[in-house]
Amino acid sequence: MAQFALVIDLNTCVGCHACATNCKEWNTQAAFGPLSDFDPYGRAPQGVWYNRIMSYEVGSYPDTQVFHLPKSCLHCQDAPCVPVCPTGASYKREQDGIVLVNYDDCIGCKLCSWSCPYGCREFDEADKVMKKCTLCIDRIYDESLPPEHRKPACVLTCPARARFFGDIEDPNSEVYRVIKERNGFVLFPDMGTNPGNHYLPRTETKVHVDEHLLKHDNPLFLEVLRRHHVGG
Amino acid sequence: MHPPLSLIWFFLTAGVSIGLFTFTYFMEFLTLFDKNTAMPKQAVLISLVISLVLIGLGAIGASFHLGHKLRAWKAIRRFHTSWLSREAVFSGAYGFLLLLYGLSYYFNLSMPIQHFFGIVAFILGWLSALSTAMIYASNRFVLEWYTSLTVLYYLNMYLMLGSSAFLALTFHYRAEFIGIYLFLTFLFVSLGLAFRIAFNVRQFLIPRPTINEALNLPHNRPIKVLDTGTTTDNYCTTEFYYKKGKELLNSVLPVAYILTFVVPLFLILYSWITGNYNYTFYALTFASLLVGSLLERWCFFVEGNHVQNLYYGLYPEEGYRLRKGYMERKRTRISLY
Repeated sequence: MAQFALVIDLNTCVGCHACATNCKEWNTQAAFGPLSDFDPYGRAPQGVWYNRIMSYEVGSYPDTQVFHLPKSCLHCQDAPCVPVCPTGASYKREQDGIVLVNYDDCIGCKLCSWSCPYGCREFDEADKVMKKCTLCIDRIYDESLPPEHRKPACVLTCPARARFFGDIEDPNSEVYRVIKERNGFVLFPDMGTNPGNHYLPRTETKVHVDEHLLKHDNPLFLEVLRRHHVGG
Repeated sequence: MHPPLSLIWFFLTAGVSIGLFTFTYFMEFLTLFDKNTAMPKQAVLISLVISLVLIGLGAIGASFHLGHKLRAWKAIRRFHTSWLSREAVFSGAYGFLLLLYGLSYYFNLSMPIQHFFGIVAFILGWLSALSTAMIYASNRFVLEWYTSLTVLYYLNMYLMLGSSAFLALTFHYRAEFIGIYLFLTFLFVSLGLAFRIAFNVRQFLIPRPTINEALNLPHNRPIKVLDTGTTTDNYCTTEFYYKKGKELLNSVLPVAYILTFVVPLFLILYSWITGNYNYTFYALTFASLLVGSLLERWCFFVEGNHVQNLYYGLYPEEGYRLRKGYMERKRTRISLY
């Protein structure tokens, strides 16, 4: 069965929040909007976001690393938020595995958000319904868009190209390949939710200088020497 | 977890309704076995009206935590998977059967019909209570709730409220049963105390996940939350982490224990041992249980820690460390800033 999902490369994500901003910009005026805001220009702005970026520091000083974790609905293959919904408003599509909320059936009981271990569902106090990432389902099937634009807004906007979108069950897809080649992992595997969204781990970058670069006849080596000499 | 007052209201009203009806009908049920336990008609009708009004008020009150109250009827659709749906169906059916039982009793219909309605209402009432408890006990992401103790305490709370309310009722109508209901109230309050202590002690013993597990990183790396992507609170930090409640919890929980268990047990035992059967004791017992249960349910919500709080650094601190070649659980620092 197809499972559309995002794959996020933590190695290249710079935590710029462009994905969250573009997600908000697209979805607040699209089919699953609005993403209501309260006091947006005041002292305590609050609102609905499908995508939030968390930043963490790992390790003990001085051996620390900072990484950024964009977190939106993971479209779990065993989504625990779906069976608890008393009205059937939360559902998982069979054809692509996307978890959606039918706003016309949602009674706003919030039980689905209690059953999400990732905190990826947010209650809209204006519309009084639960909202969450739709993987921009109104973009990815929109035939009026050029094929290269039929992707979630967050994927299209990422300046670091850290986000991939596709069917993680399709061996021919890019996301399947990067998960396999770069050891893609999921959040909270112990919770038994089998998330669709994957993350690519950070890898340590080591600069290897080949020996031939250090030979005397290497023009780069001579350049370095001359500069060093001129500089005193 | 943020305590929704409308749900606490439902717990109390449904608890008194189902508990009171349980003992009222139980006395009627025993007459099938030629026991002289039937309450006077006036007492039964008063009890049934109270139960009916309370379950109605409870249902109305509970709807206040819904975003769309007029769509509440749609909650019957997912009966096969959702405990909330089951609760809605069973509590609605219980209220309807309670009305039928009350009418059949009032109009003196034949005994089989009366008892049929009574037994079905009794079963539906307890299925409703079980469904309500299972909404919380089946949530595996709030580990404090994810235990059979949640169900046991919740069902016992209905019995505590019901037996103490019936004790006050029987004082006026069948005083010879005061002793029995003193014992039953004592029994259920004692059981409630045992379940609540076990519930609290368990919170210190449950193996909790760590932020390393949430992020799927090795256990031996300290992790610090630098930024949660928002300058203010959001839905996740207000719904799943009630900061004010956490600050008040240490003060409210002892008061809840005193009002729910200590005061009722003292009054019941005093009345029982001295033989001083005074209505004031029983009214006070019920009132204390009611207010105490309100605070206890509030604490139940505030005590719950949702695992998504790990991402915000708001989960109880615990972790692992490497020691002698194996991972040992210990408290590690998870700080927000």
